[in-house]
Amino acid sequence: MRNRFDEQLNNLNNELITMGALCEEAISSAVKLLVDNDVKMKENVLETDKQIDQKERDIETLCMKLLMQQQPVASDLRTISSALKMISDMERIGDQASDIAEIAEYAYGSGMESETHIAEQASATIQMVTDSIDSFVKKDVNLAYTVIEHDNIVDDLFDKVKGELITAIENKAANAEALIDLLMIAKYFERIGDHAENIAEWVIYSITGKHVGDK
Amino acid sequence: MVNKIFRSNFFTSMLILLMSFCLIFGVLFGYFEAQMFTELESEAGYISYAVKKDGIDFISDFNEKGKRITLVSSDGTVLADTKADVEELENHADRKEIADALKYGKGTSSRYSDTLMQKTLYYAENLDDGTILRVSTTQNSVVIILLGLLQPLILIIVLALIISIFLSYRLSKAIIKPINELDLDNPAANETYEELSPLLKKMSAQKKTIDRQIKEAEQKQEEFKLITENMSEGLLVIDKDSNVLAYNQAAVRLLEISDVKNGSVLALNRSKGFRSVVEKVLSGERAENDITHDKNTYNLIANPVYENEKIIGAVIVIIDVTESVKREQLRQEFTSNVSHELKTPLTSISGFAEMMKSGGTPDETVVDFSTSIYDEAQRLITLVSDIMKISELDEGVIPFEKEQVDLCELSKDIIKRLTPVANKRNITLNVIGDTAFVYGTKKIIDEMIYNLCDNAIKYNKENGTVDVIVNQAKDKTSVTVRDTGIGIPASEQNRVFERFYRVDKSHSKLVGGTGLGLAIVKHGAAYHDAEVSLESTQGQGTKMTVSFKRPTTEKQ
Repeated sequence: MRNRFDEQLNNLNNELITMGALCEEAISSAVKLLVDNDVKMKENVLETDKQIDQKERDIETLCMKLLMQQQPVASDLRTISSALKMISDMERIGDQASDIAEIAEYAYGSGMESETHIAEQASATIQMVTDSIDSFVKKDVNLAYTVIEHDNIVDDLFDKVKGELITAIENKAANAEALIDLLMIAKYFERIGDHAENIAEWVIYSITGKHVGDK
Repeated sequence: MVNKIFRSNFFTSMLILLMSFCLIFGVLFGYFEAQMFTELESEAGYISYAVKKDGIDFISDFNEKGKRITLVSSDGTVLADTKADVEELENHADRKEIADALKYGKGTSSRYSDTLMQKTLYYAENLDDGTILRVSTTQNSVVIILLGLLQPLILIIVLALIISIFLSYRLSKAIIKPINELDLDNPAANETYEELSPLLKKMSAQKKTIDRQIKEAEQKQEEFKLITENMSEGLLVIDKDSNVLAYNQAAVRLLEISDVKNGSVLALNRSKGFRSVVEKVLSGERAENDITHDKNTYNLIANPVYENEKIIGAVIVIIDVTESVKREQLRQEFTSNVSHELKTPLTSISGFAEMMKSGGTPDETVVDFSTSIYDEAQRLITLVSDIMKISELDEGVIPFEKEQVDLCELSKDIIKRLTPVANKRNITLNVIGDTAFVYGTKKIIDEMIYNLCDNAIKYNKENGTVDVIVNQAKDKTSVTVRDTGIGIPASEQNRVFERFYRVDKSHSKLVGGTGLGLAIVKHGAAYHDAEVSLESTQGQGTKMTVSFKRPTTEKQ
């Protein structure tokens, strides 16, 4: 019985790693589309987002099955409940990556993407997502805490980009529509950062059993 | 063990108890009955005497507990009885003891009461007057006696139980003790029960087999480890749930894994290519894919492992193909370069020819065009012959014999050929050094030195110098071409040997050449097992040295 359970938990772990990797791919493809204007990537992001949605459903079903059939307790229960929370954050990351992909080609036209800090914000966000998945894969609490701290950097970069875009609009430096699109993309990155932070928090919870911020 | 001994002990004691009981009752009951009959007989004697003397009234007055006296007439009618009313009693003629007494003078019989609780013993005697005197007494049956004995019996059983427990405990301990003290690491050396020695012998033999097998297994493991650890290819063995079962150091190095827990293989690498390989191989198909990690390219080859037609896992081999991918890229570049270089002169030729074909071109222009066509054709010929040289060197098919070549003489010859070109730009050419022989293909060495000198002149400044220095050292013979030219920037130095690579791409046409010169030098050197070295300072000049190894003793 326990063997079967372990097998299923193992399966859950594998599925989560896969879903995490898909998120990384989605966001890095979206960034390639935005920064390098690699138009092939758009299809890529949308396809990956579909896969992420499918994975979310699969993992959800698996978790439900585990909860009903095995009635887990203690750390097993924590693992499964945090998996349930994590996948919704991952799914949001996928959605936002595809949102970025949808508007990236319009934003690219402004030429502003190279003059603002948006590329920097993008790579900081990718780093956060990668680290949060890594912390889950390696069960590394310290790395998870690093991710949480890292969120401030992405937030600061968002403020910076926002300021730069406001100046650009005031100076009529580029097509305002494209600049607004860029602002939205910056916001999406900021949101993705928040989701990565959430994932890191769930990693910490599943390992230590304590919520971040609880004493 | 204790249980078993206890059970057999207890069972035995109970069996003995039962048997002795049966024996005692069987023997003693009969004995007592006989005794009682004797007693009844003597009593009957006294009573008959008394009856004869006192008449029938004696019986009516007789009152003794436990005994019953009955007087029966010869026809069976009861005349008197000490316990019952005569009127109510039936005819006794058919009673066994009465019948016997009538027949033989006396008779005995015994009967159980209705409840079987009591047994009545009868003794009848024929008195002289024809009447029959019967004396009877009751005796408790076996059941009643048993009931009476119940208390002591229970006591005995409890006692037997306790003794059995105690004994079996002691006994099993005593039996077990030497077995527990056996030295199992050395089964044959024990001295214990004789009954155990076949077991110990067997154990000893099995122990030897197991030891040998463990040793073999360890050896195999060690061999496997040695083989896999010394592989430059990474090796991963996973089970059907994609957990890592085994890995080698090369895998750790290639995938840059810090710590391998025996968890999911996806924890080591979760890139798309890797995942698809794992997924495909665990579905039972051979999988192959290239993944890029940092700047390196790895080729993954995975094969499923079957047992009884079921997939139990997979073996993944990771090969570093960074070099070959790079080479493949270079080859592609080369091909596109070749086509480009070939096309350029052809386009000019075709253009000039087309103009002349349409007619009406003045004679002077025709001469100009022809000159251009000739020049371009010459360039094409040089290019094609260079490419042919390179591919010959590439394939290692050299249609010439190796011989002793004097580098000094060869250099002088080359300088002579190049003097006209050098003179145009007022460049001085010198050959320094003495006769120095190398064993090689003259045509190729000629080509190499020619190309070096040609470059030294082409990329020189006006009024510059080119020195060809032939030097014979202890272990090598070298030829150095030194110029005072424009030099090669440090960043480009490792690329100039590539085919078609030009430092200054914009002026290549002006300078001429095919971009294959140094590539030919490099390949020629490789063919002769020689080394090419390059020293250069931008703006000051370049020094190229080809060093041939000297055969130590014998000539080849």
